Amino acid sequence: MMAAAAKAKVFLVDDHPLVREMLKSLIEQQPDMTACGEAEDAAKALKGIAADKPHVAIIDLSLKESSGLELIKQIKHRYPLVSQIVLSMHDEKLYAERAIRAGARGYVMKRESTKQIVAAIRAVRGGKLWLSETVSDAFAQRFVGAQPQAGSSLESLSDRELEVFNLLGQGMQTRQVAQSLNVSIKTVQAYCARIKQKLQLSSATELLREAMRWHESVT
Amino acid sequence: MTRRSSWEVSVFLLLLVMAIGLLDYITGIEVSLSVVYAIPVSIAAWYVGALPALGLALLSVIVWIGGDLAAGLHPSSMMVPFFNALVRLVFYAFLTHVLVRLRYLQKNLEELARVRAVALSHEIAERERLEREMLEISEREQRRIGQDLHDSLCQHLTGTAMAGQLLAEKLTRRELPEPREARRVVDLIEEAITLARGMAKGLHPVEMKSDGLMQALEEFCVSTSELFAVDCHFDCQMPVLIESPPIAIHLYRIAQEGVGNAIKHGRPTRIVVQLEEIEEGTQLVISDNGSGLPASAPSGNGMGLRIIADRAKMIGGRFRVDRGRFGGAELSCLIPHRQTDPMKAAE
Repeated sequence: MMAAAAKAKVFLVDDHPLVREMLKSLIEQQPDMTACGEAEDAAKALKGIAADKPHVAIIDLSLKESSGLELIKQIKHRYPLVSQIVLSMHDEKLYAERAIRAGARGYVMKRESTKQIVAAIRAVRGGKLWLSETVSDAFAQRFVGAQPQAGSSLESLSDRELEVFNLLGQGMQTRQVAQSLNVSIKTVQAYCARIKQKLQLSSATELLREAMRWHESVT
Repeated sequence: MTRRSSWEVSVFLLLLVMAIGLLDYITGIEVSLSVVYAIPVSIAAWYVGALPALGLALLSVIVWIGGDLAAGLHPSSMMVPFFNALVRLVFYAFLTHVLVRLRYLQKNLEELARVRAVALSHEIAERERLEREMLEISEREQRRIGQDLHDSLCQHLTGTAMAGQLLAEKLTRRELPEPREARRVVDLIEEAITLARGMAKGLHPVEMKSDGLMQALEEFCVSTSELFAVDCHFDCQMPVLIESPPIAIHLYRIAQEGVGNAIKHGRPTRIVVQLEEIEEGTQLVISDNGSGLPASAPSGNGMGLRIIADRAKMIGGRFRVDRGRFGGAELSCLIPHRQTDPMKAAE
């Protein structure tokens, strides 16, 4: 049989030993996958992945002394063939998109991980994305709606609006935006209202997220 | 009384004694003005001191007797005017003594009142500091417990749930009847994770990033609407970034407290939590369409409002309670820019 050869090699990165231990047993129990290595922080993870050459890596977002998102970017950059799945305590609504943009192929929240993680490994191994219905709905909505796709639908913005959008994306406070454009805060507020309308964003949080997303994608 | 003004008073009193003496001389010996000399002596005793008053008393007696003698008084014996002068002098001395004592007591009382007032204001400042510290400690502890719940207990439960799942799969493989129960255990543990996460969120609601407050308030309004059958809307027209975590957490708690107050006392159907950047600073406004503030609880009264006011004060904010745009109450807290800008705050 070719099962042994086709077994998915999974690498685990989580700073909690009990989670690693159980995750490992859970994976080992599956006929089509094996846990090939584990690490508790980003440095050990990069070393381990270089040595073990896994197919799939499961990454916790909150690691000791480093950010899981940063690790995902590095793995994506150095080992593009490794499919990464985020397994995190953090809310998917806040982090799933950032994780996917950083290079992950799936996002599983720890509270529902037990049944899903194995299915997620199989899915990304098969080349698919693994996201909850809520998150994939939000993605689809964004794709269908007139959302900015890295600059394309931003064409509807005026120069001044684009400037405001760009400055917000750099993480500037509204007051700093007003100062650097030499206008009043009220004026910036009016720009923000028009940007939100044109890009069909429902809240200032979304506006900020979108601006930062755009800023990251152009830099 | 300063030295210069007591000099002026002394000179004035001397002139006054001279003037009275002159008047005494003009009016002749039938009219005795001896009591009138008590006026400058009293003034000296009150404002200048005991010795000058006694000196003035002696001078008054001399002027008085001298005036009478000059006006043509012929006593049967020189002992008579001398005796009279002595009586007057004793009377003036007694008057001076009483007035100086009285003055001393009055001064003491004033001093005592001042000391007490200073002590009281120290006491008040100390109490406010303690209240502030208490709020800070409780906030810090809540954050710590919240983080522990999230980082440690939830992770442990995740591991436990996986162990349960592992057991369920093993049981299935051996074709034993128990996997259903094992799966039930996994479900229960996952519920426990959700519960613990909820608690962690309540204890540590605002993430330590500059847009953490915006996000936290948005989530708070959504969950309030779901929990209390009230339309709680978060109005934030443009991004409001807050770099200082303590300010963010206090503003969040103010919103929480304010909305809680509104629901409890005003029974509104609509609450708007507004976070905005204005020229003066960052402003948080909570308005509702409820019954408004009860007449018996004007601004500052009531525990809820007091805590809000204290929190606002702690982060250098200005807190106000008004009649709101929607007919109910409106709480607003303005944090001037220098508070939210770490660069300027350091200056």
